[in-house]
Amino acid sequence: MKWIIKRTATALLTVYIVITITFFLIRLLPGSFIEMMIYYYMTQYGMSEIEAEEMVYSLYGIAPKKPVWEQYIDYICGLLRGDWGKCYITGIPVLEALFVGLPWTVFLLSISMTISFALGVGLGILMAYRRGGILDNASSVFASISRATPNFILGLLLLYFLTIYYPIFPSRGSYDISIKPGFTLEFISSVLYHSFLPIMAYVITSVGGWMLAMRGSAIRVLGEDYVIAAEARGLKSGRIARTYVGRNAILPLFASFAISLGYMFGGSVFIETYFAYNGIGHIIGLAMSWRDYPLIQGGFLLITLAVVLSNFIADLLYGKLDPRVRRGGMYS
Amino acid sequence: MTTPLVKAEKVSKIFPVGSMFGAKKYIKAVDGIDLEIGENEILALVGESGCGKSTLGRLMLALLKPSSGSVSYYINHKYKDVWSLKGKEFREYRRNAQLIPQDPYSTLNPMKKVISALTPPLLRYKIARNRREARKMAAELLEIVGLSPPEDFLERFPCRLSGGQLQRIAIARAISVKPKFIVADEAVSMLDASLRIEILNLLLNIRKSLKTAYLFITHDLAIARYFARNERIAIMYLGNIVEIGRTEEIIQNPLHPYTQTLLATVPIPDPKLARKRELPKLRSMEIPSLISPPPGCKFNTRCPYAESICEKKVPELREVKGRLVACHLF
Amino acid sequence: MVCIPKLREGKIMRGLKSFLRYHILEPLKILASDKRALVGLSIVIFYVLMVAVGRLFIPLDLTPHREKRYLGPSWEHPLGTDFAGRDILAQIVHGGRDVLPVAFLTGFVTVAIGTAIGITSGYVGGKLDLAITTFIDIFLTIPGFPLLMVVAVWLLQSGIPINIFIIACVLSITAWAGLARSVRAQVLSIREEAFIEAARCLGLSRFHIVFNEILPNVMPYIAINFMLSSVSAIYSYTGLQALGLIPYEPGTWGAMINMAQAYVGTITGTGCWYVLAPSITIIVLQVGLVFLSQGIDKIFNPRLRER
Repeated sequence: MKWIIKRTATALLTVYIVITITFFLIRLLPGSFIEMMIYYYMTQYGMSEIEAEEMVYSLYGIAPKKPVWEQYIDYICGLLRGDWGKCYITGIPVLEALFVGLPWTVFLLSISMTISFALGVGLGILMAYRRGGILDNASSVFASISRATPNFILGLLLLYFLTIYYPIFPSRGSYDISIKPGFTLEFISSVLYHSFLPIMAYVITSVGGWMLAMRGSAIRVLGEDYVIAAEARGLKSGRIARTYVGRNAILPLFASFAISLGYMFGGSVFIETYFAYNGIGHIIGLAMSWRDYPLIQGGFLLITLAVVLSNFIADLLYGKLDPRVRRGGMYS
Repeated sequence: MTTPLVKAEKVSKIFPVGSMFGAKKYIKAVDGIDLEIGENEILALVGESGCGKSTLGRLMLALLKPSSGSVSYYINHKYKDVWSLKGKEFREYRRNAQLIPQDPYSTLNPMKKVISALTPPLLRYKIARNRREARKMAAELLEIVGLSPPEDFLERFPCRLSGGQLQRIAIARAISVKPKFIVADEAVSMLDASLRIEILNLLLNIRKSLKTAYLFITHDLAIARYFARNERIAIMYLGNIVEIGRTEEIIQNPLHPYTQTLLATVPIPDPKLARKRELPKLRSMEIPSLISPPPGCKFNTRCPYAESICEKKVPELREVKGRLVACHLF
Repeated sequence: MVCIPKLREGKIMRGLKSFLRYHILEPLKILASDKRALVGLSIVIFYVLMVAVGRLFIPLDLTPHREKRYLGPSWEHPLGTDFAGRDILAQIVHGGRDVLPVAFLTGFVTVAIGTAIGITSGYVGGKLDLAITTFIDIFLTIPGFPLLMVVAVWLLQSGIPINIFIIACVLSITAWAGLARSVRAQVLSIREEAFIEAARCLGLSRFHIVFNEILPNVMPYIAINFMLSSVSAIYSYTGLQALGLIPYEPGTWGAMINMAQAYVGTITGTGCWYVLAPSITIIVLQVGLVFLSQGIDKIFNPRLRER
C-alpha cells in the first residue's frame, strides 16, 4: 500500500515539475522577445501598443503587472480548467489543436510498440534457446544495427525509397482524404495502408532492443535452478518455455517497456513530420518551426502527462505481476 | 595477565531481522559479553556457526557499533571508548586494530593489482615516504608472508592467485601497519588442510616479531588448541561466553557441559581411543533459534545436567579452579 | 609484437613504455580477441580520422552548380552530387566536424554527472539518497526528446551563444539519470563487499575508498555508458539539426538529412545518393559505437579476460 502511495506521489510531483518548467521557460525568455512579438502585432495587425501588449500577454498567459506567484496560480488554474492558451498562429485553443492529433499518434504508437515488443520478445527467446548458433549470431548483429539506427533516418529512407523511388506506399497523410472517415472497410484499409510505413519505421528500430534484452533475460532464467528442475520433472519443453522461462524473463522488460513510450513520443515528431501524418508529433513539429510557444508548451505538457500516466499504470501492473515488488523486496 | 589492550564491557549487538510487513524480529548476536585482551596475548574464541563470534570480533575492531555496552582501547594511559575517539587518537586505534578475514577470495579488490592493495595503508600512515619506498616495503612484506619472489606477485590481479596466496597477501596487508591487535576471523577455515599449519605458524611468527595480540576466532577446537597453546581460550554459545581460561586446563578438563560436548566431537585418529570416549548425553540435537532464545541459561534445552534453576536464571561467569565458567553447576 | 627502438633507458623511457603497454597495447590486444569489438573500434577510429584529418585531403566546395544536380556516382563525384550540384563525398567527410566532438563531449559530461551523483547517492545514503533517487526518477519519466526540443527552441530565442559546451550540457540533461541510477545500484552492492570492509579497517579515507576502491569496480559500466551516451547524443544532435531546431552550417550530416527530407519529393533516380549517404554514414557510426561498447566490458573487467 505504502508503495502505491509513493508511486502516485512521484507521478504527481513529476507532472507538477513539468508544469513549473514550462511556466518558467516562457518567463525566462529575454524581454526582447516579448517586445518583438508586441512589435509584430503592432505592425502586422495595426494594433496600438496597449492592444498588442494585451494580445501577447493573453496569448502567453503573462501579466507582468501581477506578482509572479499570482500568475503562477492563474496558470495552473487555467491548465486545470482546460484553458491551455491559444495557438499563436491560428488562435485555436491549444488543447483542441492537440486533441485532433492525439488519437492518431496513440494509434500509431500502440500498434508499433505491440508489434515491436511481441516480435522482439519472441525472437529473443528463440535466440536464447539457440544460443551460439547461426540464428543467434546473425540476429544479434541485426539487433545491434536496429538499436543503433536512429528512427528518423530509417523513416527518411523508407519515405524516399518506398514512396518516391518505388512508389509503393503513399507518402502523405493518415488516410486518403477523399474517403469519408467511418468504420467502413474502405476507410480502415486506407488508414492501414497509410500507416504501414510509419509503423515499419518504429518497429524496425526498436525491435533490436527488445530482442537483445529478452535474450539476455532468458539466458539468465534458463540457468536458474527451477528451470532445470522443471526439465528434470519431464515437463514439455514448449510449456517450460512459455510458463517458466517466458514469464520470468519478461518481467524485467516491463519496466523498460513503459520508459520506451517516452522515447517513442520523441521519435514521433520526426516520423509524423516526414510522412505528414497528422498526429501530435507532426503538430509539435509544426509548432517548433513556427515558434508557436503556447502550442509547444501544451504539446510538451500533454506528452509528459501521457508518459507519466502510462509509466504509472505500468508500475501498478508490474506490482500485480511480480509478487516480489509488493512485499517490498529488492525494488522499493 | 598483562595490561589489557582492548576491553569489551557488557557488549551486546542486536540485528533486526525479517520483512517490512509483520512484526519486527531481532537477533541478539552478542549478549552482554565482557572480554579483555592483553598485549601480546592470544585468545582463541571457539564456537559453532552462528554463535556470534564473528560479530564479537568486528565489535572489538569498531567495524560494528555495539547496541549496548562499550569497547575500550588503552591509549594515553587511559581506557577510552573507541567510538568516542577522534582525530589522532582514533587514527592510532584504527592503525593498531586489524582484521584478517575468512574469505581470501573476496577480501582483495578484484579490480586492483596486489601492489595497489598493499601500498595505500603504507602511504596513508606515512610508513613509506613515497611510492617507490612503498613498493619496496610491499615486496618485503610479501617475502615475510612467504610469497617469493615478490616481483612475481606485485603486478598480478587477485583472480590469478590461489586461496593460500591470497590469504598470505591479506595477512601482509594487515601487518603492514604494524598493529598491536589482530582479529583473525576463521583465517584458515577456507584454506586447504595442508596449508593451515603453514599459515598458523606464519601468524605465530608474526606475533613473535611484532608482539601483536590475537583474537583468534574459529569453530575448530583442534586448530584453536594448536594456536592458543599456553594461552587462553574462550568458548562461546549463542552470544554468550560460557567458559574462558587457560587452554591446556580447559582442554584437559572441561567444566561447562557445552565445552565437554565440543571436545567430545573432535575427531580422534586412534579408533581404540575414540571408542572409549564417552559422549555426553545431550537432551536435544536442535540448536535453539537466535530470534527466540531459551530463557535462563541458553544451553538448558540440550544440557544433560539441566536443573530447574537453569531455566529461570542466566548463569554468570564465576571463577572456578582458576578459570571462569558460566554454569549453575558451580 | 611492437618493437620499440632502444633509446636510452632513462626513467622517462621506461615510464612511457609501461604506459603504452598497459593503457594502449593491452586493451588493444584484449579488444582484438573479440571480433565485434574489433569491427567497432575500426569503425570509430576510421570516423575520427576522417573527421579530423580527412578534410585536409578533400576540399569542401559549397558553391552551387545547378546544372550538376543529383548526378550519380562518378570518378569526379564518388558519391554523386546534391540538390545544388555540390559534391556529396566532400560534405560527408567534412560533415562530421560538429557531430563527433559534440557526441563525445556529451558522453563525457553525461558520464561525469551521472557517476558523481550515483556514487554520492549510493555511498552516503540516508536522506540525501532518498532525495536524489526521487529526483532521478522524475528525470527518467520526463520524455527526453520532447524536453530537449523545448529547451532547444528556448535556447535559440534566448540569445545565449551556442557552442559545443552548451549543446553538450543540454543534451546531457536527460541522459545522466539512467546512468546515475545504475551506478547507485552498483555502489550499494559494492559497499557491502569484503574488500571495502578491509579498506575501512585499514583506516583508508572515504575519498580513497570511493575513488580507488569503488570506482574501479564501476568503471566497466561507466565506459559502456560513455559509448551509449555518445550514440544517444548523435541521435539527438542530428535529430535536432534535421528538424531545423539547432542552427547548423550547411554541409553537416544533420543539415544534409534536413535538406534531403525537405526536397524528398523532387529527388530523381540518381539523386537517391543524397538520401543514402548521410543516412548510412550515421548508421554505420552508431553501429560501430554500439559494437565497441559491447567489447569494452572486457578491458575494464580483468575477470572476463581469457588468458
